[in-house]
Formats: sequence, structure tokens, C-alpha cells
Amino acid sequence: MRSKPETQSHTAATEPLSSTSMDPIFPLLRILPFGFLRPPKLRLKLPTLTLPSPMTVYALVLLTYFMVVSGIVYDVIVEPPGIGSTQDRATGSVRPVVFLPGRVNGQYIVEGLSSGFMFVLGGVGVVLMDLALDRNRAKSVKVSYATAGIASVVIAYVMSMLFIRIKIPAYLR
Amino acid sequence: MVGKAEPVNGSVKSGSNQSIPAAMQSPLKKSDLIPNLSLKTLKLKTKQQELLIRVSILCLVYVLAFITRLFSVLRYESMIHEFDPYFNYRTTLFLTEKGFYEFWNWFDSESWYPLGRIIGGTLYPGLMVTAAIIYWLLRFLRFAIHIREVCVLTAPFFASNTTLVAYFFGKEVWDSGAGLVAAALIAICPGYISRSVAGSYDNEGVAIFALLLTFYLFVKAVNTGSLAWALASAFGYFYMVSAWGGYVFIINLIPLYVLVLLITGRYSMRLYVAYNSMYVLGMLLAMQIRFVGFQHVQSGEHMAAMGVFFLLQVFFFLDWVKHLLSDTKLFQAFLRITVTTAIAVGAIALGVGTASGYISPWTGRFYSLLDPTYAKDHIPIIASVSEHQPTAWSSFMFDFHILLFLFPAGLYFCFKRLSDATIFIVMYGLTSIYFAGVMVRLILVATPAVCLISAIAVSATIKNLTLVARAKNKVTQTGFVRGSSSLKGSSKASLDQSQPFQRNGAIALLLGAFYLLSKYATHCTWVTSEAYSSPSIVLAARGAHGNRVIFDDYREAYFWLRKNTPPDAKVMSWWDYGYQITAMGNRTVIVDNNTWNNTHIATVGRAMSSYENEAYEIMRSLDVDYVLVVFGGVTGYSSDDINKFLWMVRIGGGVFPVIKEPDYLVNGEYRVDKGAAPKMLNCLMYKLSYYRFGELTTEYGKPPGYDRARGVEIGNKDIKLEYLEEAFTTSNWIVRIYKVKPPNNRWERCSIFTLGPHCAALPFSGNVSWLGRINFSTNAGIG
Repeated sequence: MRSKPETQSHTAATEPLSSTSMDPIFPLLRILPFGFLRPPKLRLKLPTLTLPSPMTVYALVLLTYFMVVSGIVYDVIVEPPGIGSTQDRATGSVRPVVFLPGRVNGQYIVEGLSSGFMFVLGGVGVVLMDLALDRNRAKSVKVSYATAGIASVVIAYVMSMLFIRIKIPAYLR
Repeated sequence: MVGKAEPVNGSVKSGSNQSIPAAMQSPLKKSDLIPNLSLKTLKLKTKQQELLIRVSILCLVYVLAFITRLFSVLRYESMIHEFDPYFNYRTTLFLTEKGFYEFWNWFDSESWYPLGRIIGGTLYPGLMVTAAIIYWLLRFLRFAIHIREVCVLTAPFFASNTTLVAYFFGKEVWDSGAGLVAAALIAICPGYISRSVAGSYDNEGVAIFALLLTFYLFVKAVNTGSLAWALASAFGYFYMVSAWGGYVFIINLIPLYVLVLLITGRYSMRLYVAYNSMYVLGMLLAMQIRFVGFQHVQSGEHMAAMGVFFLLQVFFFLDWVKHLLSDTKLFQAFLRITVTTAIAVGAIALGVGTASGYISPWTGRFYSLLDPTYAKDHIPIIASVSEHQPTAWSSFMFDFHILLFLFPAGLYFCFKRLSDATIFIVMYGLTSIYFAGVMVRLILVATPAVCLISAIAVSATIKNLTLVARAKNKVTQTGFVRGSSSLKGSSKASLDQSQPFQRNGAIALLLGAFYLLSKYATHCTWVTSEAYSSPSIVLAARGAHGNRVIFDDYREAYFWLRKNTPPDAKVMSWWDYGYQITAMGNRTVIVDNNTWNNTHIATVGRAMSSYENEAYEIMRSLDVDYVLVVFGGVTGYSSDDINKFLWMVRIGGGVFPVIKEPDYLVNGEYRVDKGAAPKMLNCLMYKLSYYRFGELTTEYGKPPGYDRARGVEIGNKDIKLEYLEEAFTTSNWIVRIYKVKPPNNRWERCSIFTLGPHCAALPFSGNVSWLGRINFSTNAGIG
């Protein structure tokens, strides 16, 4: 509503050419500060809010999913180390331990992030497979999408199984 | 591709075993298998075949969901698990014995002595009433079953019902194929099984069914705009409110969903009808539950629903004005004023309500979901519960397996085909996954959403793959087939070159998909069998030769309490065991799992962490007759009271600053061996746990007094108890019960050297702890 007074600051007596406004305060404002103040001529436009496209939102959602599934809330609250360490009994040297042993509900930060990455990779693989099937693209692009998709899913599944087997030695036995 | 009626020629229905147009009805395979029966009676049309397949799949899934939860019943016996279900069982027993009126107005003096507890007004009655109704129904049909059997099997029964609701929900959101997959996934998903095994008689078993039912009915109402569905969803909401405190999730998710619909420009009359009916009727019904009371208009957690309710009225009003006005510019101005005014009025009302205290702020339990660090700093009781810990990746993997891959893929499909229903399922999935990340226990709430979205991914992918796999058949058919198939996606029908490669590739991928799903089924069954089927009240371990050893110490101790103590005896223990002691031991307890009174729990915590004489005064003031501790040093059981002891210190120290946590630690480390803090070695919990333990050899090759749960030899082996005496220790030393000795009967002549609470001649007798830890009292003459 602020852009309206600039057209009439020079002609305070005449009615504005735009439609009559139903704003009750506007006439008062016209008299009191803007009777003697002259607002400058600005070329301001109210930013038009457009809704983002579904795929943009999907990308953000994927990022959030990655963070949640990596256990970021666990990292913030429990504050585990980035990577664990254990001391070799024989030599006394300190070896890194990637997977927190012994508990199902416990992790180190790097372990969480890599597992989360695998999950997202698997999801993206399925998406790529669907993109390969459903579009009118060039055939080479479709083939590369399909290969990438299948490879992603296979890698993600194999790695996730490997991770869970390292973490829980008694898995599926 | 919705599973509705499609043109008969060349239509491909998922699951149909007829790939040739129905116009050319070739003899079916059935006729080859059963040559003697009449062909005409068995020749089902495509739609009937599809219906048969769907119904049989649903029946199999229903049975599967029930039987996969029966591991513990088959391994041990039909009993109630864990801690909370024992309270629910006790109240259900009371309900079936005394009737609903007594139950609704029940004041229980057997817990939280001496305060008592208004049970009728502080519980969610849905679960108990459901089990009682099933019990009365079976009794009416002359099945004489004990109420315990009904309680044990309520959760699996409702899990089966949840799979049916999931099918209908999937059908509503996507199509019937997705519904079937969703039902199958949710039947065996470990995230849901963990809280609904047979024996886990807890609110969540029924609440997840109510949650999914309410959501399904609401989405159906939004899709159809029918008043009947909206009112049905209000009744579903009422059932949810009566069943679980997690109804707050519904009353916040649905307004959020309405808000998102409004923002994305999907306001419609259907939405208006659905939300208004559901909100008003649901709110009125929810106020019938005494525990909820007037929270829907008074509590901050429910204000979002009210805000959206008024916002919808504003939208409707603006729509009506727009319909009346013909001048768009006038309407724009009017729109701006109204929206600004409405938001301003709403904000002012909220501010006034919050400032005046009428609208209570968010309670700690739910606030810690928005700010996870809150509980750790301010409310140790909430932070101490192991289920309230944040979730690590392995918990997600354990409970969801390949659904974690399919969830983002399903979200992609939903975003590709946005509609009112898919927006809802996306919002449900995202919010519930976030909350599942904050608290392990809430993986349960996320499970239906994850299963549904994954089902969408599975269904869409398999549909695409089968279409590619069958494309060759369709293209080589006569021309009229091509005309109809071109509707579905021209790229598939025009794959003339490299067709065998495409087809083989698609078949290989289909096999891969089935392999993944079979691995999912294997994983779920393994997890259910190994991790989620243990009744925590009975412990099992592998013996030296691989045989299974069962420790039934808890029930042994409670039964001893029931038979060997006077009926009005009061038992003090940590709050974990309160429900079990009241239900099975039938004795009054000081604190139990309801944890509604923090000061009372802190008093018990203080008693456990003080020296014996100070603790004796606290116990005398609470009229305690017996003390019960759980000790895992002999068996290596790690969830015993010594491991929980620091929480007792923290909670006690939160109310009584005389208890300081650093007193019990050595260099920040919690130890029980020789290097432990002196206060730790002499506090009541230590003494009660390790009394006479120093004489016991627990492991070959280790010194006597070796604590197998901590893995150290204890520091103080020579323990003498002055005010308590040992009453009972179970066969594996897991539960130990001590009797509190009454004060000295004889009027002792007190000198400066015999001080103590039992010395009646002291002019300021009663509280002599100000003298510090001088302990000169003699045991002479104490009977």
C-alpha cells in the first residue's frame, strides 16, 4: 500500500486514479504524515511468492531425509566422536573403529553419515530406473540412466548389508 | 493407472493371469489342471479373477500378521510382557470384574502410597474397554476364556486389522496394487511388531490401528467431500484419543496438512466440509475422556487445530465475498485487509491466552520432540527412559530394512503425481520420520507411512517393469490393441528394436525386485524372532552348551511377596517395577511407572542413594515395610538397579540438592570396585545389592564377589545391614527383597554415644542426620 502515495504526493487534493481503497486508515495517513512529507519515487516491487516446483521440494526433502536417517539428532544430543578408537593390546598403537560395537542404538558420526548416504543412493537408484523407463528421451540417455539406477541399487543394498553385518555380528544367524 | 474398470480389449490388470484380450477367450490353464470338471463353472471373468486374487492375498496377509507375532507365546507361555502392560492388565481385570462405572470412578490406594492415584481420570481407557468388549463378546458366545488370554492376543488381532486398513488406504492414495503391497509390508514390518507382539498389551497396539483408520477416513473425506466420511473420521479420532496420548500427532498433522493444501492453492469445498466436521465433532468427543478433559481448548499443543479451523472460515468467507463481488480490484483490497486482520486477531488472541495462562504451554514430553536437547538438560525422568533416546542409523535399518531405500523412491512417485491424497501421505511420512529420528519409540508411528510410501514405489516400479516385459506381446498383436496401449505411454509400445534385450532386462529386474522383497521377509522374521519376542519379565540366555536357560526370577519374587507378606505391606523399589509389583505381587507400592509425581520419585531416589540411617528415616516416614532391588551381578543381567543407579542420583538430586552426582563418581567415572567413591560404597543401593555377595563365587577363575554385569570385583565385600534384614533372594540373585525392621521397641536410655532414630529419649529425636554420619548405635536389644 505504500507505493500508492507516491502518485498523489504532488497532487494532494485530487483523488488517486486507482480504484477506491477500502482501507480506513489510508485517508488519515494521507493527511497526517504525508500532507507535508514527500515519499521518494522508488521502483519497488513486492516480491511475488511463487511456490517452488515439486521437484525442487523433492530435492530438499531428500536432503532432509539423508540427515535424519544418518542419525543427526543422535549426533547432536549424545555427541559421539566422529570415529571411535581402540588401543591395540599387543603394540599399544591406537586403531580407529568405524562402527560402534555392542549396541543397536548407538553410532559414531561418520558411520551414520555413510549409512545414510547408502540409503539415499538406493532411493535415487530406483528413481533413475523410473526415469529411464518413462520419458521420451534419447535412447543413450535412457540406457545410461537405467545402468546407473541398477548399479546404485545393487551397490546400496550390498553395502548396507555389509554395514549391518559388521555392526551386529550375530545378524541373520 | 488406477485399478478401476478399463476397456475390455487389451487391458492389462496387475495380477491378472490373462494376457490375451477377453474377446478371444482361450481355454484357461485351469481347464488343463482339472479336466473332469465343467469348464463353464470355473471360467471366471477377469474382474472376478482379480477379485479372487485380491481377497486371497488379503486373507493370507491377515493371517500372516497374526501368526508372526506369536513367537513368545510358543516359546514361553501366554503371559503379559514388560512393565506397562501389567498395569493395563490389572485395570482390565478390574473392569471385567467390577463393571464400567466402578472402573471409570476408580481411586486406587495401592500405588503411590500414601498419595494414591485417581486411575479413572488418569488413564486412556480405549485399550481396556476394547479388550473387555472382546472378552464379553466371547463370553456371550459361550467361549469361556480367561481375560489374560484376550489381553495377550489383542495386539496381534489389531495388527491384522491394521493391514486391512492399510490396504484401503493404499487403494485410496494410489491404487489397489499399492494397497496390497502396503498391507503385506506392514504385516511383517519390525517397527510395528516391536510394540504389538502377543503379550505386549500396551496402548500402541490398538492406537496404531486407530491412527491409520482416522487418517484413512479423513483422506477419504477430503477426496469425496462427503459428510458421512468426515463424521466417521471424527469417530476414528475419538477412538484414537481414548487409546493413546499420541493423538496429539493427529491433531497437529491434520491442521498442518490443511494448511499445506491452502498454501498450494488446493482449497475446495470438500476440504472445508471434511476438516470442519472432523474438528468440531472430534473435539467434542475427545472431551469425553476425563484424562484429556478440556485440553482441546486450553492446551498449547492443540491450538494449531483451532487456528486452522478459523483460517478455513476466513477462506470460505473470502470465497463467498469473491462470488458476490464482481470487481476484482476491490476484492484484492478486501482480501488483503481481511487476511491481515484475521492473522492479527488470531495472534493477539493467542498472545492473550498464553500470557493469561489460560492456554497452557507445551508439556515437556511433546516439547522435547521439537527441541530434543530440552529433556536432557531439564527433565531427567524423560531423558532416562531408554525408549526416549534419539535414533541411530542401525535402529532404522533394523526396523525398516529395504523400506529405507524405497521410501525416497516412493516420495518421488508421490511428487510426480500430486493430489490431495498423496500430499497427505508425503506429509505424514516426513513428519513421522523426523519424529522417529528424535525418539526411538516413535519409529512405531512412522511405520505405517513408510510402508505406504514404499508400497507406492514397489507398485509403480513393478508395474513399469511388467509393462516393459509384456510390451513385446502387445506390440505383435493385431492393430486394435496398439490403439489402446498408446494411451499408457507411447514410448513403451514403440520399442521395436532391441526388444528381447528390453524384455529380458525387465524380467531380470523383476526377479531382482522379488529377491529384495524376499530378503525383507527373511530379515523381518529373524528380527521378530530374535529381538522383539522376549517377554522382559522372563529372561533367557544361552548356557555353556548352547542350551537355552530361562530365568524366571521376577515372577518368583512377586509370588513370594504375594504369599509371604502381610496384605497391607508397602514395598519400596525403583519406579520401573511398580506396575508389576502391584499386579502380580498384589502389594502397595510407593512409586510406579506412571511417574506423575517427580518429588515422590526423587524421595525414593534419595533414599536409595543415602547412607543406611538416613535412608531408614525416609523409609519410616513413608511406612515402607519391604525394599526390592534388582541385581544382575550373578547372571550378568545388565538392566539392574546398579546400572540405573546414576539416574536415581540425578532424579533425587534434582529435587534434593543434598544428593550430588559427583560424590558417586571417581574422575567422572562410575565404578563399583575398590577404587569407587566412598559414598558409593556405603549407600543403601550398594549395600542391598551386594549384601552377602562377597562370599559368592560367580565365575570360574575369578575371586569371590566378582560382579559379572560390571565385570569387576566389588569393592566393599563386608557389608553389614543395620536397619534392614534380608527377606528373600531369588534363585539367581536377580531380585532381592529386604524387610525394614521396626524401630526399637524398648525405651533405651540414651547417652551421647547412642544416637539414632530409635532413641526415644532424645529431646529432638526424629531427625538427627544433622549430626552427620556418626554411627555408634548398638544392636543390643533390637528385636
